[in-house]
Amino acid sequence: MDVLLSDEEKMVASSAREFLEGECSTNLVREMESDPIGYPSELWKKAAEMGWTGMCLPEAYGGQELPLVYLGLVMQEVGRALAPLPLLSTVVTSMAILEGGSEDLKQELLPAVTAGDVVLTWAFSELDPRYQPETVNLSAKEQGDYFVLNGAKMFVDYFAASDYCLVVARTADASSVNAGLSLFLVDSKSDGISHSQLKTLAKDQQCEVVFNDVKVHKGRMLGALHGGWPLMLQLLDLATVLLCTQMLGATRMDAEMAIDHAKFREAFGQPIGAFQSIQHTCADMIISIDGGELLAYEALWKMDNGMPAQVEVSQAKAFCNEKCIAVVRNSQSIHGGIGFMMEFDLHLWYRRVTAWAMRLGTSYEHRERIAHALLDVPGKVVLGQPVPVV
Amino acid sequence: MDFGFTAEQQKLRQDLLDFIKQNVTAEVIAEMDAAEDEMESSGQSRQLGHRGPLVSALFKKIEERGWFGYSYPKEYGGQGGDRVSQNIIEEELLRVGINIGLAGSGAPAIMAAGTEEQKRYYLPKLIKMEYYFALGFTEPHAGADLAALKCRAIRDGDHFVINGQKMYTTSAHFATHIYLMARTDPDASRHDGISIFIFPMDTPGLTVRPLWTIQNNPRAPRGTCYGDARSNEVFFEDVRIHESCLLGKENQGWRVGSMGLNLDRVGASRYLRSVRRDEDIVNWLKSNDFGGHSPAHNPAIRDKVAEMWIEAQVCRLMTLRSMSIVERGGQFSYEGSAEKVWSPEHGVRTTEAITQMLGPYGSLLNGSPYAVEKGVFAHNTMGAFQSGINHGSVQIMRDQVAKRGLEMPSLRRAQKVK
Repeated sequence: MDVLLSDEEKMVASSAREFLEGECSTNLVREMESDPIGYPSELWKKAAEMGWTGMCLPEAYGGQELPLVYLGLVMQEVGRALAPLPLLSTVVTSMAILEGGSEDLKQELLPAVTAGDVVLTWAFSELDPRYQPETVNLSAKEQGDYFVLNGAKMFVDYFAASDYCLVVARTADASSVNAGLSLFLVDSKSDGISHSQLKTLAKDQQCEVVFNDVKVHKGRMLGALHGGWPLMLQLLDLATVLLCTQMLGATRMDAEMAIDHAKFREAFGQPIGAFQSIQHTCADMIISIDGGELLAYEALWKMDNGMPAQVEVSQAKAFCNEKCIAVVRNSQSIHGGIGFMMEFDLHLWYRRVTAWAMRLGTSYEHRERIAHALLDVPGKVVLGQPVPVV
Repeated sequence: MDFGFTAEQQKLRQDLLDFIKQNVTAEVIAEMDAAEDEMESSGQSRQLGHRGPLVSALFKKIEERGWFGYSYPKEYGGQGGDRVSQNIIEEELLRVGINIGLAGSGAPAIMAAGTEEQKRYYLPKLIKMEYYFALGFTEPHAGADLAALKCRAIRDGDHFVINGQKMYTTSAHFATHIYLMARTDPDASRHDGISIFIFPMDTPGLTVRPLWTIQNNPRAPRGTCYGDARSNEVFFEDVRIHESCLLGKENQGWRVGSMGLNLDRVGASRYLRSVRRDEDIVNWLKSNDFGGHSPAHNPAIRDKVAEMWIEAQVCRLMTLRSMSIVERGGQFSYEGSAEKVWSPEHGVRTTEAITQMLGPYGSLLNGSPYAVEKGVFAHNTMGAFQSGINHGSVQIMRDQVAKRGLEMPSLRRAQKVK
């Protein structure tokens, strides 16, 4: 037991930070807010060369086979720099392909992911934004060697940039075993697909995607027919905890900006950082971020060690949702008026952290998942021992 | 990063659980309770007098298993083991009300600043709980601002003569020794004229008077966060001690003291104090209801239970972080202070939340008809906030996070506007 970073982990984090400090300015971040695909392809290529896209993929597919904790450290730096990269959507989808794809599909796509040649994403949510299987209505009907998809998806990350999209479809009744869902890897440029950009607080890439008689070959199904939900849950848990690390990186940067500001901004003949009201606020901000990091990395560590981590993922996200928002809000408050001027950079972090907190499970959803595990399963709970997963 | 325990550590925990099941019987607990009652009323049960035959036998068994002072070096009576294992031992025993933890014992400071002779004399006895220190820091006008302390030690050849008063000296009525912070150079700056002395409580001129806390009558049930019914004032009237009682160098007591305080904060006891109620309420809700209606079905309560559970995990993880820093032999920057803000405040939040789940039943004290879990939640309402006051208040801790961790500036004197 040693919850501090090892030398190797520190190196991965610091080289990622150095790289992004050199390559990703806030000018670039601003530029991408109005870009049709929302990411610079040169930076994406370089990120792949840094090994980020294939970090946790097996060496057989060109990856480095590193633990997920390392990916968390990189995502933290991506969040810190607000790097406009489809990294989260690509790596998480690639892990699902690794888990549930045919060998042919893995050979075709995973080396391309590692090389930075493809962008991947996934589509789960529809009108009802909860992460529950019964919210999925998009249908997939078998037709010979193909499935035909009809329906619409919401909040699809980086869809406009994507080459392939993992689509969660209903193939059987919601009351059936495993909730009757199947997963298909669809070519994003297939006939019958149309998309429109949603305008978000973060000014990032979120699409509504409509599927109108979209044909996808059977070989592009991930996992078993009607058996997609467990795999999707895994994907969602990984995406959620990685989003936490991304949020935490951004939030820590935002807090550091406020602390630096407080050290030089003067009022009443003092740097405002000498006042206890400011000092105590800053102390609470750092304590919150530290707490979030510990929760998120424990979840990733458990995944790396093959342990159930659903409760841990929910702990991290529910905590980060509320604490990260509180930190960036306090940071705005410490900055005063300049903090919400368009020309000043702080809002870039504020708008993203708040928007990210709304995705991949609200505080209420995650806390209900924890409450269910704590209260609805017989047997005593002991802090520090795993809570039974249901 | 490694959040797991080794196979040996996991086995150690299982051994402890088995040991506790076999040896910590209701009779043992009853004997401990009776001894504490007696101690509080007489205030004269020093030198192990508070251990009855059953408890003495239990401590003998704990010693035989090598669980005392697990991470302390063998030459000082410890086992030379790792800090994490020591924490496992402390945690499991404390869960059943047996505190063999060395946090708050003065042992970490003696280990860090003591002479070889002091280490060999004190540590083996502290480790086996044969000696116990009262911590003589706070005074009537020096609490949060500890460096304002006035208790005076005047050198007289190779002796010191002490006059003054200490307050809120929690364990003075059963301690064998005192760990005293006193002013040795009134002309030096506030922090530079302080020294630490360690000497027996029965030294002539030292008297102890009880201060009764709000937990007195009825006694708080075992496991309450700060359920102590008694604290004390300690008076020093021409108390004469030899200079060999100095811990660390003369006039350098501030550094020794604050380092000791930081190390004393690490461990199972503060962690458990803050999170025990989270376990209690979940387990209570699972198997109890009010006449058929279970609060566990109320969505608002479920949400709150989960929120508090997450906060409790942060307490646990911050304890592990402090432990990792100690284990690496490192110094705290702000991490110990951060834990000392988060955990006590969580303890308060969760206690308040739980009493709102229980409604008026939450107010029933130990011994009352219908008391929930022996009234532990009502007693915690009187105890949890104390955790945010003593050993460095949460406000002082936030100062330290800001100053040491974030390097934020100090106030300047107001300048005249020209």
